[in-house]
Amino acid sequence: MVRKGFEKELRKLEDSVIEMAETAKKSIDTSVESLKKKDVKLAKETIALEKEMDKNSLDIENRCMRLTALQQPVAKDLRFIASMLKISDTLERVGDYAGKIAKITIKTKDKPLAKPLIDIPKMAELSKEMIDIDIEAIRSKKVEGIEEKLTQRDDVIDNLYEQIYKELLMMMFERPQIISDATDLIFVGRYLERIGDLACKVANRTIYMVDGRRTLIK
Amino acid sequence: MTSIKIKNLNAYYGEKQVLKEINLDIGEKRVTAIIGPSGCGKSTLLRCINRMNDFIDIFRAEGEIDIDDKDIMQMDPVLLRKQVGMVFQKPNPFPKTIFENVAWGPKIHGTKDKSTLNKIVNNSLKQAALWDEVKGRLKDNALGLSGGQQQRLCIARALAVSPEVILLDEPCSALDPVSTAKIEDLIVALKKHYTIVIVTHNMQQAARVSDNTAFLLNGDLIEYSDTDTLFETPKDKRTEDYITGRFG
Repeated sequence: MVRKGFEKELRKLEDSVIEMAETAKKSIDTSVESLKKKDVKLAKETIALEKEMDKNSLDIENRCMRLTALQQPVAKDLRFIASMLKISDTLERVGDYAGKIAKITIKTKDKPLAKPLIDIPKMAELSKEMIDIDIEAIRSKKVEGIEEKLTQRDDVIDNLYEQIYKELLMMMFERPQIISDATDLIFVGRYLERIGDLACKVANRTIYMVDGRRTLIK
Repeated sequence: MTSIKIKNLNAYYGEKQVLKEINLDIGEKRVTAIIGPSGCGKSTLLRCINRMNDFIDIFRAEGEIDIDDKDIMQMDPVLLRKQVGMVFQKPNPFPKTIFENVAWGPKIHGTKDKSTLNKIVNNSLKQAALWDEVKGRLKDNALGLSGGQQQRLCIARALAVSPEVILLDEPCSALDPVSTAKIEDLIVALKKHYTIVIVTHNMQQAARVSDNTAFLLNGDLIEYSDTDTLFETPKDKRTEDYITGRFG
């Protein structure tokens, strides 16, 4: 593969990773929406997205391995390929968490929610915003201020999770019959909190890709 | 052991300046790679270290190169080249026996005793990882060896005069991957005892064998750092563009 071909492959790799990030956002949306509306169709759509992301992650891994073997990249090319590999793996995990939320929807489809969803959609919105920040940084190769932007949002997500956890715990003390449903919602909160952490991991990799700095946001 | 300090080195072929204000500290018992595009001055720099350029009429150099704090310009060039051995791009054994090739250096430096010469030849061939392949045919003509074996013979020949520094100018460019791997293993093994400077066009080779790498461009030393850093997070955009194949 001549140099131009290599450049083209790198761009295609970036496009695929950004597409995965968009799919991750969509899966967060459909999973939480499916739970909110107890919509099994949306839940199944989320699970299909999860499978699509598994496939895409494997495809990206194969392409990264091939480029590494054939092009023996160094410096920014090496950092780019290594970062794409790790980012796609991280996004695939976002898909897994969204899939877990969708499975809770399917499991509890005939039961009402233990409580109305107020904070959980907020957490979903924030985590999508975080992935948007990641996407912009990957595209523009500009990472100034990304740590602050993500930390700020991740802190809000963490606090919301803490709040949901305490609230549901209190509800479980008061109404033991909702323990199972409330536990499911605690899990949903936990999954979204983890998605926030994963968005930070994507940013860590993006910073490394852009300027070689090793950071640990959160 | 031996460290090399290059201070404000400028070199010229006639009117043309080929090295500009080079300052470089080469650590002892380390492998230092010099990389850069063709014509950037890397071989000239290497050849300055043992004054091989002195043979070129139009060549002149300013500045200082100290080996173990001794200015090489004040040294006898023959003794300097004993201390600083060199291996070239193309294997260049003498059309003599394997034994004579290795014994040649010690002989011209005054070693006459046969058992001492035997010992030197054996040790040098062992150090050059060639002994097992040639021990039964030391009296065969060296030109009958394969290219990779000939290059290791040249390394053994350089080692035979107990140098402190070994300069390697593109030592693997004429060799196949298996012979290249043997030479690379040898370079890594030899750094326990010698200070090694290697000029290579093969970026991956520099990354594999060297501890430090210097990047030269148009006679300027653009970047010099530990090899890991230079190949992962180079500081200068010109270094990055070169090692990622975007120019040169």
